[in-house]
Amino acid sequence: MQTRQAATGAVSSRDLRKSFSVGGKAVEAVSGLNLDVGRGEIFGLLGPNGAGKTTTLRMLATLIPIDGGEATVAGIDVRRKPKEVRRRIGYVGQLRGADLPATGRENLLLQGRLYGASGSEASLRASELIELLALGDFADRPARTYSGGQRRRLEVALGIMHRPEVLFLDEPSTGLDPQNRSNLWDQLRGLNAAGTTIFLTTHYLEEADALANRLAIIDHGKVVAEGTPLELKRRVGGGTFVVRTALPAPELEDLRAALANLAPISGASLDGQALRLRTSDGRAAVAAVAQMLDARDVPLAALSLSEASLDDVFLQETGRSLRDAGQNNPEAVR
Amino acid sequence: MSFAVETQLLFRRKMLELMRQPVWIFAGLSSPLLYLALFAPLLQALAGGPGFTGKSVLDVFVPGIIVLMAFGSGMGAGWVTIIEVDTGVLERLTVSPASRFALLLGTVLRDVVWLIIPALLVILVAIPFGFHPNPAGTVVLLAIASLITAMTSAISGALGIKLRQIGSLAAVVTGMQLPLMLLSGILLPLSLAPSWMVVLAHVDPMYYAVEASRVLANGSILNGTVGTAFAVLGVLTALSLWWATGVYRKALA
Repeated sequence: MQTRQAATGAVSSRDLRKSFSVGGKAVEAVSGLNLDVGRGEIFGLLGPNGAGKTTTLRMLATLIPIDGGEATVAGIDVRRKPKEVRRRIGYVGQLRGADLPATGRENLLLQGRLYGASGSEASLRASELIELLALGDFADRPARTYSGGQRRRLEVALGIMHRPEVLFLDEPSTGLDPQNRSNLWDQLRGLNAAGTTIFLTTHYLEEADALANRLAIIDHGKVVAEGTPLELKRRVGGGTFVVRTALPAPELEDLRAALANLAPISGASLDGQALRLRTSDGRAAVAAVAQMLDARDVPLAALSLSEASLDDVFLQETGRSLRDAGQNNPEAVR
Repeated sequence: MSFAVETQLLFRRKMLELMRQPVWIFAGLSSPLLYLALFAPLLQALAGGPGFTGKSVLDVFVPGIIVLMAFGSGMGAGWVTIIEVDTGVLERLTVSPASRFALLLGTVLRDVVWLIIPALLVILVAIPFGFHPNPAGTVVLLAIASLITAMTSAISGALGIKLRQIGSLAAVVTGMQLPLMLLSGILLPLSLAPSWMVVLAHVDPMYYAVEASRVLANGSILNGTVGTAFAVLGVLTALSLWWATGVYRKALA
């Protein structure tokens, strides 16, 4: 999984750039992105809304022109041979793409044939995918009657109908409930095990952590960190205390400021009623935090220590929390 | 995958979509029949008068209705492309290696078929009320009407992609439809019109079709009016298809 073969890799980009004109001003959405994804990986592009994830994906999938830099997908130059790239990739965008008046099976058959399968090949493959993604109960009903989870499964099936070498997924689990989300993850892992390289964007930490075996964290169109989820978290080291109290907001802020000043605490942020305290030395921090809470007689609801999360990685690299970043971003996601 | 197969697959998708929308089928048929039922009777009083020297007022009016239907049946294309942009269908199809021209043509051909079938129905319905169709003339008229439908379908579909909003598309389409229809002489022959209007009508492509339609109803095929209509509409249709294919190519950039 970890072997990187630049020449034969699944996706590779050098100094990839894209600008959009926003109100007459050029805004750089992707500014010099370098990526290397090996065949057989599940590669995640993690970042807040507006970080340039979707723009990157759309450039790699030949949907929008590349402004600058180089990109190859399945070993093929995206700028020079977009049509060759299209034959080799599957793409499930944020808009999803199922044709709603048609049945699931009709969607699949057309998709297969547009990629060059004969009628009988397409019909065989459609039945296979209906089985694999458990679409059997509703495959012959119009797609507009599907639930959210059923529709997403159809759209993943459409993305892999022609057995692409690389499957691009843009925010695949957005809008799915936890159960459908974890079903989708299982299915994507299954596809990957069968040999499909998966390249996905996500702003969900959990998704990046659970699904991707390698990640690039991006912000403002640039890679800020790259590695396996474990490597990234180890790089940050330490962990996070989460302190939950019933204190009213002003006192909570006061407590946050006081805790932030403790020597073993490197950062403290408020997330609703929860105080998140970053530390690189758990042992020293436990003592110091407990002492302060005790001295202030804080009514404690819960105290937990967790290992570093990908959010901590993002925080360390950008100075912001991924949960907050992108909230006030004026740029459309596109 | 050959271009012909792609086009045929995408055409079939569009036909299936139409079959599943009884409302569209009803709407497509109702307005021409309403014109026949509620407008044609008004013309009876004008029979034999200026502009209506033929055997029957329907001989003047029915060809015009068919041109009107040709215009209308292509104009709906943009509504569907807006939906297909919104639901990502168009994005998915443009990531596929399918030809962009085939994507466009699937809709255009469906609209042409969905012009010809109701047009034949209107002709059949009009016969008992005194319409005298000329068989060869009818075939040529349907060919001209098909060019109009192909042109409007391509333009409307491409406008849907460019405008992306039903409201904007509706404003453009209805804004174009009324002046083009009034100037073409569909409702009443332009031989009744003042000369400035006749001059102005020459910038309306529909005018050439309506003029040709009335000549064709008399069974005269090989004449300059019909030739002019084919030349004007052939060029405009080709230009529209070319422009619309470019819009599809850049669809979502």
